[in-house]
Amino acid sequence: MNAPHTPTTPAQSVFSVRDLWKVFGPKADLVPADPELAALGAAELRERTGCTAAVRDVSFDVKKGEVFVVMGLSGSGKSTLVRCLTRLIEPTSGTISIDGEDVLSMDGGRLRELRRHRASMVFQHFGLLPHRTVLDNIAYGLEIQGVGRGERRERAAEFAAKVGLDGMEQRRPGQLSGGQQQRVGLARALAVDPEVLLFDEPFSALDPLIRRDMQEEVVRLHREEGRTMVFITHDLSEALKLGDRIALMRDGRIVQLGTPEEIVGAPADDYVRDFVRDVPREQVLTVRSAMRPALGDEHESGPALGPGATVHEAIEAVARTGENARVVEDGRCLGVVDQAGLLGVVAGVPVATRKAVA
Amino acid sequence: MTATATPTPATSSTTPDTSAAPATATTPDTSAAPGSGTAGDARPGTPRALARHRGRLIGAGVVLGLVLGSVLLGGGSWPAALGVDLSGPLERVGDWIVDNRDGHPLFLYFLGHVSNAVVVSVRAVYLLLLALGWAGVTAAAGLVAWRLAGARLALTSVAAFAVCAVLGMWVPTMQTLALMVVAVAASVLVGGLLGLAAGLSDRMHRVLRPVLDTMQVLPAFAYLLPVVLVFGIGVPAAVLATVVYAAPPMARLTALGLRGADAGVVEAATSLGATGRQRLLTARLPLARKELLLGLNQTIMMALGMAVIASVIGAGGLGDRVYQALASVDVGAALAAGVPIVLLAIVLDRVTAAAGERLGAAPAARSRLGWTLALAVTAAVAIAGRLADRLSWPDGWTVDTAEPVNRAVDWMTAHLYSGVPVVGGTADWAARFTAWVLNPLRDGLQWLPWWAVLLTVGALALLIGTWRTAATAVLAMAAIGVLGVWGPALDTLSQVLAAVAVTLLLGFALGVAAARSTRLGRALRPVLDVFQTMPQFVYLIPVVALFGVGRAPAVAAAVVYALPAVVRITAQGVRAVDPAALESSRSLGATGRQQLLQVQLPLARPALLLAVNQGVVLVLAVVVIGGLVGGGALGYDAVFGLAQGDLATGLVAGAAIVCLGLMLDRVTQPTQRRDPAGKGA
Repeated sequence: MNAPHTPTTPAQSVFSVRDLWKVFGPKADLVPADPELAALGAAELRERTGCTAAVRDVSFDVKKGEVFVVMGLSGSGKSTLVRCLTRLIEPTSGTISIDGEDVLSMDGGRLRELRRHRASMVFQHFGLLPHRTVLDNIAYGLEIQGVGRGERRERAAEFAAKVGLDGMEQRRPGQLSGGQQQRVGLARALAVDPEVLLFDEPFSALDPLIRRDMQEEVVRLHREEGRTMVFITHDLSEALKLGDRIALMRDGRIVQLGTPEEIVGAPADDYVRDFVRDVPREQVLTVRSAMRPALGDEHESGPALGPGATVHEAIEAVARTGENARVVEDGRCLGVVDQAGLLGVVAGVPVATRKAVA
Repeated sequence: MTATATPTPATSSTTPDTSAAPATATTPDTSAAPGSGTAGDARPGTPRALARHRGRLIGAGVVLGLVLGSVLLGGGSWPAALGVDLSGPLERVGDWIVDNRDGHPLFLYFLGHVSNAVVVSVRAVYLLLLALGWAGVTAAAGLVAWRLAGARLALTSVAAFAVCAVLGMWVPTMQTLALMVVAVAASVLVGGLLGLAAGLSDRMHRVLRPVLDTMQVLPAFAYLLPVVLVFGIGVPAAVLATVVYAAPPMARLTALGLRGADAGVVEAATSLGATGRQRLLTARLPLARKELLLGLNQTIMMALGMAVIASVIGAGGLGDRVYQALASVDVGAALAAGVPIVLLAIVLDRVTAAAGERLGAAPAARSRLGWTLALAVTAAVAIAGRLADRLSWPDGWTVDTAEPVNRAVDWMTAHLYSGVPVVGGTADWAARFTAWVLNPLRDGLQWLPWWAVLLTVGALALLIGTWRTAATAVLAMAAIGVLGVWGPALDTLSQVLAAVAVTLLLGFALGVAAARSTRLGRALRPVLDVFQTMPQFVYLIPVVALFGVGRAPAVAAAVVYALPAVVRITAQGVRAVDPAALESSRSLGATGRQQLLQVQLPLARPALLLAVNQGVVLVLAVVVIGGLVGGGALGYDAVFGLAQGDLATGLVAGAAIVCLGLMLDRVTQPTQRRDPAGKGA
């Protein structure tokens, strides 16, 4: 089963991953090469070979400027996958390229160059140096690059301010709350001005309220800088909130790759359907999924909504005015949403049984 | 101290995701079959059944062995036919070394240089200390303590050095200190490098760990003889024995620190593009600072212990004074030299420990200023002392404590030794202990047929540990027989067993009491702290004063030395019992007694086993040294060999001590046999 990835030209993609495998265990490289072994389930594979396949035959592209979310439960292989991107874990087979350059054939120096300047990572458990101040932690990446003390402190102070750590520069990580520690981790990753930011479940260890703050921080940073991000999470609402596109993983494979709306609106299989069942659909799906062609003079009256508006917004408009709402793009009416259509979306009645335009 | 069996994750990433897919594909260890835990659930085959009937199987094996042995082998001590007389070859080796010490290239180009370097550096440090004068040294000690550990310890250090001088022990103290400085520097260097290698390379770790583990359980005494064989009696031998003895903790803790470094931090450094060297210098070593300082602390303490014992092979200094005094049963003189040893131990331990706790608290800029200040003050005081012509402590300021102490001891001898109504005297106690406990135990052990001893050792080791520890223990015991010192070894063993029994009885009782009563725990803590820092040698002094010489005093010294560790481990183990389990038993209405017997002690089982292991190892170390105060047996053979230049006797005794140590450690070594094998799966 191949993941339904969107084909893109290499020029647009930052990361391009093809047929990637990561197998742990003895003689791991035999597994991807052997079609019979490659088709085995996790338990059978372990019994037959003693190996565990954490990432199986994964392909995707990360486009420039997007937030690409890899989402899955623990054990689905998502953290292994993100570590393979910069070879913190050595992949077993497949290809990875960054800006068209093959990552797997890089030598030590080139690989360090990649890690120092092009992709930096934010970790679930922060990975801060406990014996250094906040400022020196933020400057750590620059220190590794060999930037002089004065310059790197200056840059670090700038990024400390950017993530809201003013006045805490001289504290040590142990004196900070979890959220503040992760801000240090974020600032450390940002300070080296990388092309891509890799997040490995960065907010999973944080309290819900702080997690929301940090998510908004990431949204803000992305809006301001437009930096490419690869974001790993096991939290579906986080994935839907942050992701431009989401790759949903299960047992090492990508089971569906698409926009939040595609994942929620058109689950690829029962697993995904089960997964997204409790998602408040009206907040993710847009009015397009509830729209029907305008009949008669419907395109002349009623509240107007953009095509990107959520069903939730449409419900509010329809409820307030009592009329069907129009979906308008560039002054042209694309269709209307009525109560029946909106209720259909909320109830999760499959698209095929409604007369909606997908 | 020895059993820090911390599992160290070897892989770099331990996030929930990857930990679900670790390489736990080790082939089922058939050897460890009786207890391979969770694996047994899947296949209910023989291993599980074996595990269930382990105790019964071992019992059956012992009975079978007893029957077979008594039919086939008969009774009696180790048969001479199975022995190997090593004294001839050993003497030849000794003679060869003596003959070639000045001519052979090995000595000329390697060992000679080592020996010279040691002599020169010890001499240099000693002269430096003398040049600083007592005022300079005391000021330096106080200022270093102040910088590292604060004002209170600074005062303690100054007072300690002043007392050394007042007791008239300034010169020996400086001799010991000079030897210590060189030995500790070399130990830290050697240990640190070994630890670095073991910390960075898995293969080195696999090779070094069992060696270091074993070295740590061997009595200090065992290290003296091989060194003497090569270097002869003198300062080089003393320093090298000290280094060999004191380097292992540094190596162990360095490796432990490097391996235990937070994998997440190291991964973060890698993800930022750090090279291996950058990772080591900026992440792994700084993360291991606590362990490194703990290693330094332990190395210093062990070096002090050994530097004192090494007086037997020519270390000079304080240890030598104690040794000489004990030889003539001059308790007063021994005490005058023993007190500086204790003070030195306390100061060194507290200052290094405090330095470890204070780590990273002081900002760098201010501390550099402080150090400069300390250096300047030291220099000023030293120069002032020189100008005032007061380099050596004035004779008029010393206090002779030997005489009053000896008078007190005489009084004790007259009034407390025997004939005290109702309780009897200390000498009576010692005599009774010897007659009623030590003698029967020794005679019983020596009466036992040799194969029965081996069988007992194997069965005991199998009950507590694995077949592997049992095999090592039996082999070590057999080696003692082969070496031809079966009799003295069993004599030593009887002393060890008696001392261990007393130690455990007192230790468990005190430990449980300390764990259950916070007040007692708090009261005991400083006492335990002091007792645990003192070198083994020092314990002989009060014991000789109280009980005279003989086997009973040796046992008493061993008990006193081992007791603090046993009490502490027991108390910690009982206190660390899962509060939830305790609470649930209390909620069911358990009495205090029921809680102790049904919850706390069973759950503290690993700690209790560790306490037994530590107790045995520590007791052996002192029982052997007891050879100096009439303990006889192996310890006496070793001392005799050294004193008479009869290296063959000494070396055989030393080797037997090593074997005995190995055997006792392995028999009592609790392993993780009960742990599920495939925890990571």
